[in-house]
Formats: sequence, C-alpha cells, structure tokens
Amino acid sequence: MAKKRKFKKGVIIKLFILLVIFVAIIFGVVFVIKKIGNMKFKEYTKTLNYMDTVIDIKLYSNNEKEANTIISEIEKIYKYYHELTDRYNAYEGINNVYTINHTSDITKMEINHDLYNILDYSINWYYKSNGLFNINIGKLTDLWKVYRDNQTGIPTNDELYRLSGLDIKHIVLYDDNKILTGNVNLDLGGIAKGYATEVVHYYLKSIGFERYLINAGGTVLAGINSDGGKYRVGLQDPDNASAILKDENKEIKLNVSNAIVTSSGGYERFYEYNGVRYHHIINPNTKMPANNMKSVTVITDNAMLGDALSTTLFLMSIEDGQKFIENFDNVEAIWYTNDNKVIKSDGIKKYE
Amino acid sequence: MNKSDLKLIIVIILIAIIILFMVAIFNNNSNKKALIYYDNDLVLTIDLTEKEKKEYFVDGYNGVVKIITEDGKIKVDEEESPLHLCSKQGFIDKTYETIVCLPNKIVIKIVSSKTNDLDTILR
Repeated sequence: MAKKRKFKKGVIIKLFILLVIFVAIIFGVVFVIKKIGNMKFKEYTKTLNYMDTVIDIKLYSNNEKEANTIISEIEKIYKYYHELTDRYNAYEGINNVYTINHTSDITKMEINHDLYNILDYSINWYYKSNGLFNINIGKLTDLWKVYRDNQTGIPTNDELYRLSGLDIKHIVLYDDNKILTGNVNLDLGGIAKGYATEVVHYYLKSIGFERYLINAGGTVLAGINSDGGKYRVGLQDPDNASAILKDENKEIKLNVSNAIVTSSGGYERFYEYNGVRYHHIINPNTKMPANNMKSVTVITDNAMLGDALSTTLFLMSIEDGQKFIENFDNVEAIWYTNDNKVIKSDGIKKYE
Repeated sequence: MNKSDLKLIIVIILIAIIILFMVAIFNNNSNKKALIYYDNDLVLTIDLTEKEKKEYFVDGYNGVVKIITEDGKIKVDEEESPLHLCSKQGFIDKTYETIVCLPNKIVIKIVSSKTNDLDTILR
C-alpha cells in the first residue's frame, strides 16, 4: 500500500510540473506575440504650437514615411487655420481675421472659401444658441483680458456700456467668398481649434488612417489605439493643474475611440476677484464672464460641433444645457458645478 | 529523485531562464524621459530615471528658463512671463502631464514606453 501511494504522489508531482511548464510557455508565447504585434505599429509624435495652444499629435503606424507625411499634413492644416483666424497678425496674400478687424469703415472684402465657411458656421451657431455663441465679441474679450492679465478688478459698467459693434448683423456674408463689414472685432477662440481639428479629422478619414490621438488644448480627437482599442482620456481638475477631475473620489476616465471630446472652462484662463471667479469665456448678453459652472465637457463625433457646443453650454445654466443637448444626436456631456459636483448625461455610462 | 526528475528540473529552469530573457528583452525600454520643446522644436531630452536633483537651462522667448529635475519629477523653477503660470504649476511626473509656458514658447512633456493609465488629459 505504501509503495503504491508513493508512486501516485510522484506522478501527481510530475503532472503538476508539466502543467506549470505548459502554462509558463503559453504565457511567454502570448506575451511575445503581443509585443511583436504592437511592434508592428510604431508611435510617432509631434508637438505643435498654434492658435495659442499646444497641439499634441500621436500616430501609430508601421510605415515611417506615411507617418511623417501625415504629421506634416496635419501641421499644415493647423498652421493654415491659425493664420486665417489670427487676430494679432496679418499674413501676406490672404485676408484673415486681423484684416477684417482692422477695417473701420464699412468695407466689402474678398475672403477665401475656408474663412467664409468658418464665419458662416459661427453665424449659424449664433442663432442656434440664441445669441450666446457670438464671434463678434473681440472688443469685450479684449477688455476683460486687460483685467485678467492684471489679475485684479473688473471693467466698470461705463467701460462695458461704451463697447459698440458687438452685433452679429455687422457681418454680412454673400456670394460664397465676400464679406461686408466694418468696425467689428471677431474672436474665433471658441471655434477655430475645433474647426481646424475637424478638418484634420476629415483628412484622416479621407486617407483611411485610423490610429491617432490628437490633443489640441480643449479638444481631443481620438481614433483607435495601437491595439485597435479605445483611448483613456482624463479630464483636468479646473482647480488643480496637475490633478484629474474626480467624481465621488474616483478619477473620471473616459474610454473613447473614433470620437471627439471637448472641454470649456480650464484652469489657466480665469482669475478671482472679491471671491468671484471670472473666466475667459464672456457672455455677450450680460457682457460678464460666464459663472454657471467650473467646466463642461462634451463627447461628439464632430470637432466643430464639439467646440461650439461646449462654449455654448459653458454660457448656459446646467439645466438649460441638459435640455439643449437633446437637440443633437450622439452628444453626451459632463458638467462640473461651482460646488464641485459632477453631473453627467445618461449616455456617459457607455464611456466609463 | 531519479535521473528523469533531474532532467525535468533542468528543462524547467532552462525554460524559465529563456522566458525571463524574452520578457527582459521586450520590456527593457521603459525609461522615463522629459522632452523640452521650444516653438515646435525638440531642444532637450532629460532622463528622468535619475534620483538626484539637477538643473537645466533652456532659452525661452523671454529669456532663460530654469528647469529642475528630482526624483523622477520635473518642474520649471524660474522664467520670465507676466503670470508665471508654468513655474507656479510645480512638479509633474506622470506621462500625460505637461508644463506649458506659452509666453516663453516652451513645452515640457513626460514620455515613457511603459503602458500608462491615461493616454491623454483634456484641459
């Protein structure tokens, strides 16, 4: 009996050892195959600086030449829209926002098709948002910027009252390439990045390139990652530049692919005076900075829509915003309230 | 223990060593680095795996920008700008974090080939 038991024990040990080897080999092989699979796609990155923001481009490709071509095409797009929408510089051979803003008399001017389209899209949004999304408030944003840069005080009622020409009707577009305007001051800060990003989005779709992640300050354009899966996008805490926004002590991480995530608010462009927070996004109706929330984030399938929508939602009360997004398909939103609460639309669940 | 048991053990050890080598070879590139950009161009790469405190100086748009690394973290210590936003930000150490000094056209990013929790952060 004793001998028989000993024999059985030996077999079990051998079988067990064989099993361990088998499992170890499987793990090893799976690990190596996964690594080799990932190595097929190399990561290519580039950091750009346009439109007052940092643009991070990340591509996964198995073709270095292709990746470099795509990166330089993307850079061309951002540079082009940066120049078209630049308020501070004129560029040779092109009428841009600077040129439009520096016509004091009523003037007819030819503008190219792309600038025409941005202005046309923005004016449409003025009506969609009941006047909250207004690109003709450059004078207002400039006035507030002076106070924000000094980090103290707010404009007097008199200063705000004296501002004229904030009406969207002072911009008339016609013939697909002409503008009739004068004494306006356009600020495309609420649309330019999103618009350019959507052009990039369209370009990537048109060439069939899928593995990309672009972060253009406030707008994230996500394709699929190197494994064909989703990206994890964190939202920055508006009160702390190096922390992720939390919901009930849990960091918010959105799992997205083939989507655009856009935020308005942001930590870097507000100041506090007498205990009130003054943001860089100004409500054209009240002429005061928005103060309805700390930030708002939208997930959409179109970067132009995302940019205009997040700017508009930031200027609305949260309740109005919840109703407003029902007008759009495939839009979800996250609001971060002034008393540090996170409010999500129902469909956010599928990104968590 | 007989001869075949011994053989088996040797085979196991050999396989274990081979797997260990494979893992080591494919996983050896996880070193954390900081990339410093000036106006869209990479101007400096700093190895962040070193523990001791080090100082670096790069030319920004408004003058010299002083950068300090310590314990795998990096910060901008001194720079010329109206609001000093990037020196106020303090240390960063995660791969999705960036320091942006727009007035100085300097951007600092942390990269690491180790798989990370977040791919990007929206601000």
